Amino acid sequence: MKKKIVSAGLLCIFFFSPGVLSAETAKVITKENALREDCRFLSPVKARLKYGDQLEILSGDADWFNARYKNKKGCIHSSAVKEKKISLAGLAAPGSEPATEDEVALAGKGFNPQVEDSYKNRHADLDFRKVDSIEKYRISEEELFTFIRKGGLHQP
Amino acid sequence: MKRGIVLLLALAFLSSCATVDMGEIREHMGMITATAGAARKAMRPISDEEEYYVGRAVAARILSSYPLSTDQRLAAYINMVGQTVSLHSEKPCTYGGYHFALLESAEMNAFACPGGIVFITRGMLNAVNTEDELAAVLAHEIAHVNKRDGISAIKQSRWTEAVAIIGSTAAREYGSTEFSQLVDIFEGSVDDVVKTIIENGYGKSQEYSADKTALVYLSKSAYDPSALKNFLERTVEGGNASGGGLFKTHPATADRLENIKDDLPAEGADILMAQKRAGRFISEIR
Repeated sequence: MKKKIVSAGLLCIFFFSPGVLSAETAKVITKENALREDCRFLSPVKARLKYGDQLEILSGDADWFNARYKNKKGCIHSSAVKEKKISLAGLAAPGSEPATEDEVALAGKGFNPQVEDSYKNRHADLDFRKVDSIEKYRISEEELFTFIRKGGLHQP
Repeated sequence: MKRGIVLLLALAFLSSCATVDMGEIREHMGMITATAGAARKAMRPISDEEEYYVGRAVAARILSSYPLSTDQRLAAYINMVGQTVSLHSEKPCTYGGYHFALLESAEMNAFACPGGIVFITRGMLNAVNTEDELAAVLAHEIAHVNKRDGISAIKQSRWTEAVAIIGSTAAREYGSTEFSQLVDIFEGSVDDVVKTIIENGYGKSQEYSADKTALVYLSKSAYDPSALKNFLERTVEGGNASGGGLFKTHPATADRLENIKDDLPAEGADILMAQKRAGRFISEIR
Protein backbone atom coordinates (compact mmCIF):
# COMPACT_ATOMS: atom_id res chain seq x y z
CA MET A 1 0.00 0.00 0.00
CA LYS A 2 2.78 2.34 1.08
CA LYS A 3 4.61 1.59 -2.16
CA LYS A 4 1.44 2.29 -4.17
CA ILE A 5 0.96 5.67 -2.47
CA VAL A 6 4.57 6.64 -3.02
CA SER A 7 4.37 5.65 -6.70
CA ALA A 8 1.13 7.57 -7.14
CA GLY A 9 2.70 10.58 -5.44
CA LEU A 10 5.70 10.46 -7.73
CA LEU A 11 3.35 10.19 -10.69
CA CYS A 12 1.50 13.30 -9.49
CA ILE A 13 4.71 15.24 -9.05
CA PHE A 14 5.84 14.09 -12.50
CA PHE A 15 2.68 15.30 -14.22
CA PHE A 16 2.00 18.45 -12.23
CA SER A 17 5.52 19.91 -12.22
CA PRO A 18 5.88 21.87 -15.45
CA GLY A 19 9.64 21.95 -15.12
CA VAL A 20 9.94 18.17 -15.33
CA LEU A 21 8.63 17.72 -18.84
CA SER A 22 9.02 21.17 -20.28
CA ALA A 23 11.37 22.16 -23.10
CA GLU A 24 11.89 25.74 -24.25
CA THR A 25 11.11 26.57 -27.81
CA ALA A 26 10.44 29.94 -29.36
CA LYS A 27 8.70 31.18 -32.46
CA VAL A 28 10.02 34.04 -34.58
CA ILE A 29 7.48 36.88 -34.37
CA THR A 30 9.01 39.32 -36.83
CA LYS A 31 8.66 39.18 -40.61
CA GLU A 32 12.38 38.57 -40.99
CA ASN A 33 15.23 38.01 -38.59
CA ALA A 34 18.55 36.27 -38.22
CA LEU A 35 20.39 33.81 -36.05
CA ARG A 36 23.71 35.52 -35.39
CA GLU A 37 27.17 34.28 -34.56
CA ASP A 38 27.49 36.46 -31.44
CA CYS A 39 24.87 37.97 -29.16
CA ARG A 40 24.94 41.45 -30.72
CA PHE A 41 23.33 43.06 -33.72
CA LEU A 42 25.46 43.35 -36.86
CA SER A 43 27.30 40.14 -35.90
CA PRO A 44 27.65 37.70 -38.84
CA VAL A 45 24.45 35.92 -39.80
CA LYS A 46 24.37 32.13 -39.39
CA ALA A 47 20.80 31.59 -40.62
CA ARG A 48 18.07 33.79 -42.05
CA LEU A 49 14.77 33.40 -40.23
CA LYS A 50 11.22 34.31 -41.05
CA TYR A 51 7.96 34.68 -39.15
CA GLY A 52 6.84 31.45 -37.54
CA ASP A 53 10.21 29.65 -37.66
CA GLN A 54 10.70 27.54 -34.54
CA LEU A 55 13.89 27.71 -32.51
CA GLU A 56 15.13 25.67 -29.61
CA ILE A 57 16.24 27.95 -26.80
CA LEU A 58 19.46 26.71 -25.21
CA SER A 59 20.14 29.52 -22.75
CA GLY A 60 19.81 33.25 -22.47
CA ASP A 61 19.20 36.40 -20.50
CA ALA A 62 16.75 39.27 -20.73
CA ASP A 63 18.15 40.52 -24.04
CA TRP A 64 19.61 37.61 -25.99
CA PHE A 65 18.97 33.92 -26.38
CA ASN A 66 21.39 31.23 -27.47
CA ALA A 67 19.29 29.14 -29.76
CA ARG A 68 19.41 26.28 -32.26
CA TYR A 69 17.75 26.36 -35.66
CA LYS A 70 18.13 23.42 -38.03
CA ASN A 71 21.38 22.25 -36.43
CA LYS A 72 22.83 25.75 -36.40
CA LYS A 73 23.55 27.39 -33.08
CA GLY A 74 23.58 31.13 -32.66
CA CYS A 75 22.04 34.17 -30.97
CA ILE A 76 18.73 35.91 -31.43
CA HIS A 77 17.36 38.97 -29.62
CA SER A 78 14.57 38.20 -27.17
CA SER A 79 12.26 40.79 -28.76
CA ALA A 80 12.30 38.80 -32.02
CA VAL A 81 10.79 35.65 -30.55
CA LYS A 82 7.95 34.48 -28.41
CA GLU A 83 8.87 31.77 -25.97
CA LYS A 84 6.74 28.70 -25.77
CA LYS A 85 7.00 26.02 -23.09
CA ILE A 86 6.08 22.56 -24.26
CA SER A 87 4.86 20.55 -21.33
CA LEU A 88 2.43 17.82 -20.33
CA ALA A 89 2.15 16.81 -23.94
CA GLY A 90 -0.93 14.84 -24.78
CA LEU A 91 -2.70 15.42 -21.48
CA ALA A 92 -5.14 17.98 -22.77
CA ALA A 93 -8.25 16.46 -24.23
CA PRO A 94 -7.94 16.59 -27.99
CA GLY A 95 -10.32 18.97 -29.71
CA SER A 96 -11.38 20.66 -26.49
CA GLU A 97 -9.26 23.80 -26.82
CA PRO A 98 -10.57 27.10 -28.13
CA ALA A 99 -8.70 28.89 -30.91
CA THR A 100 -5.40 30.14 -29.53
CA GLU A 101 -3.66 33.34 -30.63
CA ASP A 102 -1.36 31.25 -32.82
CA GLU A 103 -4.22 29.32 -34.37
CA VAL A 104 -6.03 32.53 -35.09
CA ALA A 105 -2.92 33.95 -36.71
CA LEU A 106 -2.35 30.81 -38.72
CA ALA A 107 -5.95 30.83 -39.81
CA GLY A 108 -5.29 34.32 -41.13
CA LYS A 109 -7.66 36.07 -38.72
CA GLY A 110 -7.23 39.38 -36.96
CA PHE A 111 -5.80 42.55 -38.50
CA ASN A 112 -3.99 41.01 -41.44
CA PRO A 113 -3.25 41.54 -45.15
CA GLN A 114 -6.86 40.71 -46.09
CA VAL A 115 -8.20 43.34 -43.70
CA GLU A 116 -5.66 45.81 -45.06
CA ASP A 117 -6.76 45.02 -48.64
CA SER A 118 -10.38 45.71 -47.76
CA TYR A 119 -9.35 48.94 -46.05
CA LYS A 120 -7.41 49.91 -49.20
CA ASN A 121 -10.49 49.23 -51.32
CA ARG A 122 -12.53 51.54 -49.13
CA HIS A 123 -9.83 54.26 -49.33
CA ALA A 124 -8.54 54.38 -52.88
CA ASP A 125 -7.13 57.84 -52.08
CA LEU A 126 -4.53 56.34 -49.76
CA ASP A 127 -1.27 55.43 -51.45
CA PHE A 128 0.07 52.30 -49.77
CA ARG A 129 2.80 52.05 -52.43
CA LYS A 130 4.59 54.88 -50.63
CA VAL A 131 4.37 52.94 -47.38
CA ASP A 132 5.78 49.90 -49.20
CA SER A 133 8.64 52.01 -50.55
CA ILE A 134 9.50 53.21 -47.02
CA GLU A 135 9.56 49.63 -45.79
CA LYS A 136 11.58 48.38 -48.74
CA TYR A 137 14.23 51.03 -48.26
CA ARG A 138 17.18 49.31 -46.62
CA ILE A 139 20.63 50.26 -45.49
CA SER A 140 23.10 47.41 -45.40
CA GLU A 141 24.52 46.12 -42.13
CA GLU A 142 28.01 46.99 -43.39
CA GLU A 143 26.97 50.61 -43.98
CA LEU A 144 25.40 50.83 -40.54
CA PHE A 145 28.43 49.25 -38.91
CA THR A 146 30.73 51.83 -40.56
CA PHE A 147 28.37 54.70 -39.68
CA ILE A 148 28.34 53.68 -36.01
CA ARG A 149 32.11 53.20 -35.87
CA LYS A 150 32.95 56.48 -37.58
CA GLY A 151 30.53 58.36 -35.31
CA GLY A 152 32.13 56.96 -32.15
CA LEU A 153 28.81 55.34 -31.24
CA HIS A 154 28.22 52.07 -29.41
CA GLN A 155 27.81 48.92 -31.47
CA PRO A 156 24.43 47.46 -30.50
CA MET B 1 1.08 17.77 16.07
CA LYS B 2 1.95 20.10 13.18
CA ARG B 3 4.00 17.33 11.57
CA GLY B 4 1.02 15.01 11.90
CA ILE B 5 -1.30 17.45 10.13
CA VAL B 6 1.21 17.97 7.32
CA LEU B 7 1.61 14.21 6.95
CA LEU B 8 -2.18 13.72 6.87
CA LEU B 9 -2.59 16.45 4.23
CA ALA B 10 0.20 14.94 2.17
CA LEU B 11 -1.40 11.50 2.41
CA ALA B 12 -4.80 12.93 1.44
CA PHE B 13 -3.22 14.60 -1.59
CA LEU B 14 -1.38 11.46 -2.64
CA SER B 15 -4.33 9.17 -2.14
CA SER B 16 -6.57 11.49 -4.18
CA CYS B 17 -4.03 11.32 -6.97
CA ALA B 18 -3.90 7.56 -6.71
CA THR B 19 -7.65 7.16 -7.14
CA VAL B 20 -7.99 9.43 -10.21
CA ASP B 21 -7.46 7.52 -13.42
CA MET B 22 -5.58 8.93 -16.41
CA GLY B 23 -8.80 9.46 -18.35
CA GLU B 24 -10.07 11.78 -15.65
CA ILE B 25 -6.75 13.64 -15.49
CA ARG B 26 -6.89 14.08 -19.24
CA GLU B 27 -10.46 15.40 -19.03
CA HIS B 28 -9.61 17.85 -16.23
CA MET B 29 -6.52 19.05 -18.01
CA GLY B 30 -8.58 19.59 -21.14
CA MET B 31 -11.08 21.72 -19.23
CA ILE B 32 -8.34 23.71 -17.49
CA THR B 33 -6.55 24.32 -20.79
CA ALA B 34 -9.77 25.35 -22.52
CA THR B 35 -10.74 27.76 -19.74
CA ALA B 36 -7.25 29.24 -19.54
CA GLY B 37 -7.15 29.53 -23.33
CA ALA B 38 -10.49 31.32 -23.44
CA ALA B 39 -9.45 33.71 -20.67
CA ARG B 40 -6.12 34.41 -22.33
CA LYS B 41 -7.84 35.02 -25.65
CA ALA B 42 -10.37 37.40 -24.11
CA MET B 43 -7.60 39.50 -22.60
CA ARG B 44 -5.04 39.25 -25.33
CA PRO B 45 -3.52 42.53 -26.46
CA ILE B 46 -3.09 43.52 -30.09
CA SER B 47 -0.28 41.37 -31.45
CA ASP B 48 2.87 42.85 -32.98
CA GLU B 49 1.66 41.68 -36.38
CA GLU B 50 -1.71 43.39 -35.95
CA GLU B 51 0.03 46.52 -34.67
CA TYR B 52 2.10 46.48 -37.85
CA TYR B 53 -0.98 46.57 -40.10
CA VAL B 54 -2.52 49.40 -38.07
CA GLY B 55 0.80 51.26 -38.35
CA ARG B 56 0.92 50.86 -42.13
CA ALA B 57 -2.57 52.33 -42.47
CA VAL B 58 -1.67 55.19 -40.11
CA ALA B 59 1.42 55.87 -42.24
CA ALA B 60 -0.72 55.91 -45.40
CA ARG B 61 -3.07 58.41 -43.75
CA ILE B 62 -0.16 60.67 -42.74
CA LEU B 63 1.24 60.45 -46.28
CA SER B 64 -2.09 61.66 -47.64
CA SER B 65 -1.49 64.98 -45.84
CA TYR B 66 2.31 65.25 -45.92
CA PRO B 67 4.33 64.58 -49.09
CA LEU B 68 7.09 61.98 -48.83
CA SER B 69 10.59 63.24 -49.64
CA THR B 70 12.32 61.61 -52.58
CA ASP B 71 15.79 62.61 -51.34
CA GLN B 72 17.50 59.21 -51.08
CA ARG B 73 20.65 60.59 -49.49
CA LEU B 74 18.70 62.14 -46.62
CA ALA B 75 16.61 58.97 -46.31
CA ALA B 76 19.84 57.00 -45.86
CA TYR B 77 21.19 59.38 -43.25
CA ILE B 78 17.98 59.57 -41.21
CA ASN B 79 17.71 55.79 -41.32
CA MET B 80 21.31 55.35 -40.13
CA VAL B 81 20.70 57.60 -37.12
CA GLY B 82 17.28 56.10 -36.39
CA GLN B 83 18.40 52.48 -36.78
CA THR B 84 21.36 53.07 -34.47
CA VAL B 85 19.09 54.42 -31.73
CA SER B 86 16.36 51.79 -32.26
CA LEU B 87 18.89 48.97 -31.88
CA HIS B 88 19.66 50.33 -28.40
CA SER B 89 16.00 50.43 -27.39
CA GLU B 90 14.32 47.77 -25.28
CA LYS B 91 12.47 46.45 -28.32
CA PRO B 92 14.87 46.56 -31.26
CA CYS B 93 12.90 43.95 -33.21
CA THR B 94 9.35 44.78 -34.21
CA TYR B 95 7.29 42.71 -36.65
CA GLY B 96 8.09 44.89 -39.66
CA GLY B 97 11.20 46.63 -38.28
CA TYR B 98 11.93 50.33 -37.87
CA HIS B 99 11.83 52.63 -40.90
CA PHE B 100 12.49 56.35 -40.93
CA ALA B 101 11.26 58.75 -43.58
CA LEU B 102 11.33 62.46 -44.30
CA LEU B 103 8.16 64.44 -45.02
CA GLU B 104 8.38 67.55 -47.17
CA SER B 105 6.62 69.94 -44.84
CA ALA B 106 7.79 73.15 -43.23
CA GLU B 107 5.83 72.23 -40.13
CA MET B 108 8.10 71.25 -37.25
CA ASN B 109 6.91 67.77 -36.42
CA ALA B 110 7.65 64.06 -36.06
CA PHE B 111 5.27 61.09 -35.91
CA ALA B 112 5.63 57.53 -34.68
CA CYS B 113 3.31 55.05 -36.36
CA PRO B 114 2.56 51.86 -34.43
CA GLY B 115 4.97 49.09 -35.35
CA GLY B 116 7.98 51.21 -36.27
CA ILE B 117 7.51 53.65 -39.15
CA VAL B 118 8.77 57.04 -37.95
CA PHE B 119 8.32 60.29 -39.86
CA ILE B 120 10.22 63.51 -39.41
CA THR B 121 9.35 66.70 -41.30
CA ARG B 122 11.75 68.94 -43.21
CA GLY B 123 10.79 71.68 -40.73
CA MET B 124 12.01 69.52 -37.86
CA LEU B 125 15.17 68.54 -39.71
CA ASN B 126 15.93 72.24 -40.21
CA ALA B 127 15.26 72.93 -36.52
CA VAL B 128 17.81 70.43 -35.19
CA ASN B 129 21.42 71.62 -35.19
CA THR B 130 23.40 68.42 -34.80
CA GLU B 131 23.24 64.69 -35.42
CA ASP B 132 22.81 64.20 -31.67
CA GLU B 133 19.74 66.47 -31.65
CA LEU B 134 18.32 64.55 -34.63
CA ALA B 135 18.96 61.34 -32.69
CA ALA B 136 17.16 62.86 -29.68
CA VAL B 137 14.04 63.64 -31.74
CA LEU B 138 14.03 60.15 -33.27
CA ALA B 139 14.71 58.55 -29.86
CA HIS B 140 11.58 60.25 -28.49
CA GLU B 141 9.52 58.78 -31.36
CA ILE B 142 11.11 55.33 -30.96
CA ALA B 143 10.10 55.45 -27.29
CA HIS B 144 6.47 55.97 -28.36
CA VAL B 145 6.75 52.87 -30.61
CA ASN B 146 8.37 50.80 -27.84
CA LYS B 147 5.71 51.80 -25.31
CA ARG B 148 2.94 51.14 -27.85
CA ASP B 149 1.51 54.60 -27.21
CA GLY B 150 -0.07 54.68 -30.66
CA ILE B 151 -1.84 51.38 -30.15
CA SER B 152 -3.02 52.46 -26.70
CA ALA B 153 -4.95 55.27 -28.42
CA ILE B 154 -7.35 52.65 -29.81
CA LYS B 155 -10.57 52.66 -27.85
CA GLN B 156 -10.77 49.64 -25.57
CA SER B 157 -14.34 48.90 -26.67
CA ARG B 158 -13.19 48.57 -30.28
CA TRP B 159 -10.55 46.01 -29.45
CA THR B 160 -12.90 44.09 -27.16
CA GLU B 161 -15.33 43.84 -30.07
CA ALA B 162 -12.52 42.79 -32.42
CA VAL B 163 -11.40 40.06 -30.03
CA ALA B 164 -14.95 38.77 -29.77
CA ILE B 165 -15.06 38.38 -33.55
CA ILE B 166 -11.51 37.09 -33.99
CA GLY B 167 -11.48 34.77 -31.01
CA SER B 168 -14.85 33.11 -31.25
CA THR B 169 -14.91 29.48 -32.26
CA ALA B 170 -16.52 30.73 -35.45
CA ALA B 171 -13.34 32.71 -36.09
CA ARG B 172 -11.92 29.64 -37.70
CA GLU B 173 -14.47 30.01 -40.45
CA TYR B 174 -16.02 33.46 -40.15
CA GLY B 175 -18.01 34.83 -43.03
CA SER B 176 -18.34 38.10 -44.87
CA THR B 177 -20.43 39.81 -42.18
CA GLU B 178 -17.86 39.19 -39.47
CA PHE B 179 -15.06 40.13 -41.84
CA SER B 180 -16.78 43.39 -42.75
CA GLN B 181 -17.22 44.14 -39.03
CA LEU B 182 -13.53 43.49 -38.50
CA VAL B 183 -12.61 45.93 -41.29
CA ASP B 184 -14.91 48.53 -39.66
CA ILE B 185 -13.06 48.02 -36.37
CA PHE B 186 -9.70 48.26 -38.15
CA GLU B 187 -10.81 51.52 -39.76
CA GLY B 188 -11.98 52.90 -36.42
CA SER B 189 -8.70 51.87 -34.81
CA VAL B 190 -6.67 53.66 -37.49
CA ASP B 191 -8.84 56.77 -36.99
CA ASP B 192 -8.23 56.65 -33.23
CA VAL B 193 -4.45 56.53 -33.70
CA VAL B 194 -4.32 59.22 -36.42
CA LYS B 195 -6.51 61.54 -34.37
CA THR B 196 -4.23 61.11 -31.38
CA ILE B 197 -0.88 61.55 -33.08
CA ILE B 198 -1.87 64.38 -35.45
CA GLU B 199 -4.61 66.30 -33.65
CA ASN B 200 -4.92 65.61 -29.93
CA GLY B 201 -1.49 64.33 -29.00
CA TYR B 202 -0.63 61.66 -26.47
CA GLY B 203 -1.21 62.19 -22.77
CA LYS B 204 1.29 64.31 -20.85
CA SER B 205 2.56 61.29 -18.95
CA GLN B 206 3.23 59.45 -22.22
CA GLU B 207 5.21 62.42 -23.55
CA TYR B 208 7.20 62.82 -20.36
CA SER B 209 7.93 59.12 -20.32
CA ALA B 210 9.03 59.21 -23.98
CA ASP B 211 11.45 62.05 -23.17
CA LYS B 212 12.96 60.18 -20.23
CA THR B 213 13.21 56.97 -22.25
CA ALA B 214 14.83 58.88 -25.11
CA LEU B 215 17.63 59.92 -22.72
CA VAL B 216 18.28 56.24 -21.97
CA TYR B 217 18.44 55.30 -25.67
CA LEU B 218 20.79 58.22 -26.35
CA SER B 219 23.11 57.21 -23.52
CA LYS B 220 23.14 53.57 -24.64
CA SER B 221 23.95 54.63 -28.22
CA ALA B 222 26.68 57.04 -27.03
CA TYR B 223 24.80 60.03 -28.39
CA ASP B 224 24.81 63.02 -26.04
CA PRO B 225 21.61 62.92 -23.93
CA SER B 226 21.98 66.70 -23.38
CA ALA B 227 21.10 67.09 -27.05
CA LEU B 228 17.42 66.69 -26.14
CA LYS B 229 17.72 69.45 -23.54
CA ASN B 230 19.67 71.70 -25.94
CA PHE B 231 17.07 71.27 -28.64
CA LEU B 232 14.14 71.97 -26.33
CA GLU B 233 15.87 74.99 -24.78
CA ARG B 234 16.55 76.45 -28.20
CA THR B 235 12.92 76.11 -29.24
CA VAL B 236 11.88 78.00 -26.09
CA GLU B 237 14.45 80.73 -26.70
CA GLY B 238 13.55 80.95 -30.38
CA GLY B 239 9.89 81.45 -29.51
CA ASN B 240 8.91 78.32 -31.48
CA ALA B 241 7.62 76.48 -28.46
CA SER B 242 4.08 77.77 -28.70
CA GLY B 243 3.55 77.24 -32.42
CA GLY B 244 1.68 74.50 -34.28
CA GLY B 245 2.92 71.09 -35.33
CA LEU B 246 4.83 69.35 -32.58
CA PHE B 247 4.02 72.07 -30.06
CA LYS B 248 0.29 71.74 -30.62
CA THR B 249 0.33 68.08 -29.56
CA HIS B 250 3.03 68.10 -26.87
CA PRO B 251 3.14 69.45 -23.32
CA ALA B 252 4.67 72.92 -22.79
CA THR B 253 8.38 72.78 -23.64
CA ALA B 254 9.35 74.35 -20.31
CA ASP B 255 7.54 71.49 -18.55
CA ARG B 256 9.32 68.94 -20.71
CA LEU B 257 12.64 70.49 -19.73
CA GLU B 258 11.70 70.37 -16.08
CA ASN B 259 10.70 66.71 -16.50
CA ILE B 260 14.09 65.59 -17.80
CA LYS B 261 16.41 67.82 -15.79
CA ASP B 262 17.08 65.22 -13.08
CA ASP B 263 17.62 62.43 -15.58
CA LEU B 264 20.43 64.01 -17.52
CA PRO B 265 23.72 62.23 -16.84
CA ALA B 266 26.33 64.24 -14.93
CA GLU B 267 28.94 63.41 -17.54
CA GLY B 268 28.26 64.35 -21.11
CA ALA B 269 29.19 62.39 -24.20
CA ASP B 270 32.64 62.44 -25.78
CA ILE B 271 32.87 66.07 -27.01
CA LEU B 272 35.30 65.32 -29.81
CA MET B 273 33.11 62.59 -31.24
CA ALA B 274 30.00 64.75 -30.82
CA GLN B 275 31.74 67.48 -32.85
CA LYS B 276 32.71 64.93 -35.48
CA ARG B 277 29.09 63.84 -35.73
CA ALA B 278 27.97 67.48 -35.92
CA GLY B 279 30.30 67.89 -38.91
CA ARG B 280 28.83 64.76 -40.50
CA PHE B 281 25.34 66.19 -39.93
CA ILE B 282 26.18 69.43 -41.72
CA SER B 283 27.68 67.65 -44.71
CA GLU B 284 24.64 65.34 -44.99
CA ILE B 285 21.89 67.89 -44.38
CA ARG B 286 23.00 71.19 -45.83
